[in-house]
Amino acid sequence: MIRLRNIERCYPLAKGRFFYVLRDVNIDIQEGEFVSIMGPSGAGKSSLLHILGMHDHGWTGEYYLNDIAVHHLKAKERATLRNEQVGFVFQQYHLLDDLTVYENLEIPLSYRKVARNERAAIVADTLDRFQIVAKRDLYPRQLSGGQQQLVGVARAIISSPKLILADEPTGNLHSSQGEEIMELFKKLNSEGTTIVQVTHSEKNASYGNRIIQLRDGWVV
Amino acid sequence: MLQELRLAFRLLAKSPAFVLIAVATLALAIGANTAVFSLVNALLIRPLPYADPQRLVLIWEEFTAQGLERIPVSPPEFLDYQKQTKSYRHLAAFTYRDLNLTGGDVPERIQGASVSAAVWPLLGVKPIRGRVFDQTEEGEGRNNVIVISERLWQRRFNSDSTLVGKTVSLNGSGHTVVGIMPKTFEFPLPLFNVQGGQFAERVDIWVPVGFTENEMKSRGSRDYGIIGRLAPGVTAQQAQAELKQLIPRWKEQYPDNYGKDENFGAQVYPLQEQVVGKMRPALWILFGAVSLVLLIACANLTTMLLARASSREREMAIRIALGAGPMRLIRQLLLESIVLSIIGGVAGIVLAIWGLDILRAVTARTVPRIAEVNLDLTVLGWTFLVAVGTGVVFGFFPALASSNPQLTEALKEGGRGSTEGARRNTLRNGLVIGEIAIALALLVGASLLVRSFIQIQNVDPGFNPRQVLAMELSLPVLKYPRGKPVVDFFAEVQRRVAVLPGVRTAAITSILPLSGTNSDSSFAIEGQTESAVMSGVFPDEEQRQVSPEYFKALEIPLLKGRYFTEGDGFDAPRVMIVNQALAKKYWPNGDAVGKRVTFDDPRKTPKWTTIVGIVGDVRHRGMDEPARPEFYQPHAQVPYRSMILTVRSSQDPKSLVSMIRRELTALDPDLPIAHVRTLEQVVSDSIAPRRLSVLLLGAFAAIALILAAIGMYGVMSYLVAQRTHEIGVRMALGAQRSDVLKLILSRGARLVLAGTGIGLLFAFLSTRALGSLLYGVGTFDALTFGAVTVVLAAIALLASYIPALRATQSDPMIALSHNA
Repeated sequence: MIRLRNIERCYPLAKGRFFYVLRDVNIDIQEGEFVSIMGPSGAGKSSLLHILGMHDHGWTGEYYLNDIAVHHLKAKERATLRNEQVGFVFQQYHLLDDLTVYENLEIPLSYRKVARNERAAIVADTLDRFQIVAKRDLYPRQLSGGQQQLVGVARAIISSPKLILADEPTGNLHSSQGEEIMELFKKLNSEGTTIVQVTHSEKNASYGNRIIQLRDGWVV
Repeated sequence: MLQELRLAFRLLAKSPAFVLIAVATLALAIGANTAVFSLVNALLIRPLPYADPQRLVLIWEEFTAQGLERIPVSPPEFLDYQKQTKSYRHLAAFTYRDLNLTGGDVPERIQGASVSAAVWPLLGVKPIRGRVFDQTEEGEGRNNVIVISERLWQRRFNSDSTLVGKTVSLNGSGHTVVGIMPKTFEFPLPLFNVQGGQFAERVDIWVPVGFTENEMKSRGSRDYGIIGRLAPGVTAQQAQAELKQLIPRWKEQYPDNYGKDENFGAQVYPLQEQVVGKMRPALWILFGAVSLVLLIACANLTTMLLARASSREREMAIRIALGAGPMRLIRQLLLESIVLSIIGGVAGIVLAIWGLDILRAVTARTVPRIAEVNLDLTVLGWTFLVAVGTGVVFGFFPALASSNPQLTEALKEGGRGSTEGARRNTLRNGLVIGEIAIALALLVGASLLVRSFIQIQNVDPGFNPRQVLAMELSLPVLKYPRGKPVVDFFAEVQRRVAVLPGVRTAAITSILPLSGTNSDSSFAIEGQTESAVMSGVFPDEEQRQVSPEYFKALEIPLLKGRYFTEGDGFDAPRVMIVNQALAKKYWPNGDAVGKRVTFDDPRKTPKWTTIVGIVGDVRHRGMDEPARPEFYQPHAQVPYRSMILTVRSSQDPKSLVSMIRRELTALDPDLPIAHVRTLEQVVSDSIAPRRLSVLLLGAFAAIALILAAIGMYGVMSYLVAQRTHEIGVRMALGAQRSDVLKLILSRGARLVLAGTGIGLLFAFLSTRALGSLLYGVGTFDALTFGAVTVVLAAIALLASYIPALRATQSDPMIALSHNA
């Protein structure tokens, strides 16, 4: 599903020098895999995730997603591809403060030009599936951290992406909430969704089937 | 306090960009406010430069049936007012006089005034050298003494310390200089409410009145103004009541002069009102406009400080946690805003000084007392108050908001008090809506004035002012007694000038259109004399004495009959030409040509004057006033000594001045030329007060627009900065750039819609005040309202487009890395 070849990402420093956050990264991830990217702080884990999510365009190398050469796509085409195939879960949940749970879930669908009626049906299904129907009209600040992340995951999968990218999804949660989320990921993975997560936790990594270790930008 | 002041300066020094924008905003608003207040102060608040000026009044007469208001008085009437009233401590007559000062290298026409000796104690101004003249020096043959201005003394006589007591040649006869009045002394002041009395030239020589025998014979020959100082304890109303009792006695005593009905009357007017009364509405409108500009600036500053308050929330929370009370924080924050506005006020004063220099240069000849406009202590005090007040107004809400942060939220790294944020956003949005609304109202007002101004400039004045030169010539009575010598001199002037290269036509007139001076005369119409005599109401219309070529020189069209010819000479049958308005008024059937009128007493053996032609109407009192009935007489038959030479040229008319001057010097080396100007300049000067309103209100509206646009930009930029995280999340969730653009612009559009909606309502209510200043355009002109709304909305949307565009370029990766 994902093929990375010679991916490099660097930032310019003073006097014409560069700081590399990723060096010669070559990775293959098959469809249906649950991969954990691990490594110390500053190893380049989040940078790699943002490249996979097509948020970052300043890299070099080759990136194929389902055999589509992302490195040849223009920004707008990458955004379309991302909307079709990728869902995101963030450590800080990144729910929109001024929108209700219902509206937060609806947002990705509205950006994919899904019709209003269809949107309502999908959101209702998702609320049901995640058992958060009672929370539909609450604002994020009225939810606990675990509940917020639950909504974050629900939002990530609402447009049925083939790939979920999760950046420290349990980083801000206490252990029991974290376990619930990881169980949810495992369930999604068993239903066929490919998952790539960045984590510091060995325990969370154990939910997956492969670990990629990064150190100073290199895959080790 | 000192410590807080030091802290305020240190904190402001840390944000130079913020300080620069804030000071520039304040400087524009406070500078405009200072400039307009200095106008209001000089023209409306500061007393006239005379002793106890609120006791000074003017007496004007009126003939209501003929529509003649505020007209001067005759010498016999003046003497009767003096003898038969008790309301005044002093009563003085005054009139303008053209004086030819000779004896130096170049003869010079000086603006002079004949004044009663009583004018000096009445005004209470002392000379800087010598003395003023007294009553024994009044009267024909005795009045060969003069008082001159300090300006003339310095300019013409090189501040000669021995001038007092010396004799100078005025109008061909010797006059002894007895005193010099200070530079600040000005009398008569330009009287803006009196039609035909708009003498903008300052008087430099004062001569005692000397009523001639002829003048004393005629109660109807009205050339003098009357100024009076009310007696102690007497009010203007009591003085008016006294006149009301006096006038019926005159009507009985002189029925031939006043008739028997209520037509004739006399009114008492406070001097201050007469001098600046006409400027009052325009000044208050301008003052209102700058106050609105100041409000917009305050709104801008408030939004800026609110944004700053958000970034200082942690600092404030820490201060409170360390024990600072809310009052202490409010005081500290208000001190910062007051320091800021005082710096802005100082910069504003500098701008106001420049602005006033420009204003004085533009309006020197057209606005009364403009020379007195300056930044005195009253103005500076006002500016200080405005600056401190502005600081308190724009600093209050941000200070209040900052002094009460959500403590636990603010103390958390990156924490946000969302309720407080929402409240501030509401305030910020409200301020921008208010700014847009005010800017719209100001823009609509300014645009209405601009449209009026354009309409006026496009008005056909009834003559062609292009390529016409005008200059005034005043022949001294000693050298040119009334009659043939005067006619011959002006005929020769025209003959010589007409053959100069580049001259197409040379002519003379006693009154130049739109010049501010005027003259009228009553007459009796053949066949209607009896009814006029019975009622005592004779037609009274505006009169001009012109040479035959005048109509050609000004391109005034002949509609019926004929122009004057050389045959209409001194001894020929009396003829006159009337304008269309006069012909329609008295002969609505169109048969004016051939009719006769007389300027003599119809009961005796009058000389009749035949109407030989009808010419097009000429606007005289203003481009915005319809032409009044006028009649023209041949100069050869009514030979005035003060005439205006008008020369139509085939080239730049100013290039003819030196050639004409040479010809005139060759004819009479002692004859000065005055008021050399083009007719286009005369037309332009006639609309100068209106131009001033347009310029100032236009400038303030432009400032308002700029400030509103900056305000909109600031609020939208802040909104974008505040929503960076949200935008990043939205983009991460699939929002395209167009979605983000739409998101931000729709917020901007909502503000613009609300602002323009309220602004239109405000404009509807406020433009009514402009009614008297508009011409050819209604106060609710749909085109102006629509166009201004579209332009303002476009600019405001553009101001929000830039931050919106920036938002679309935000990198979701960076946005998401912000702690939420």
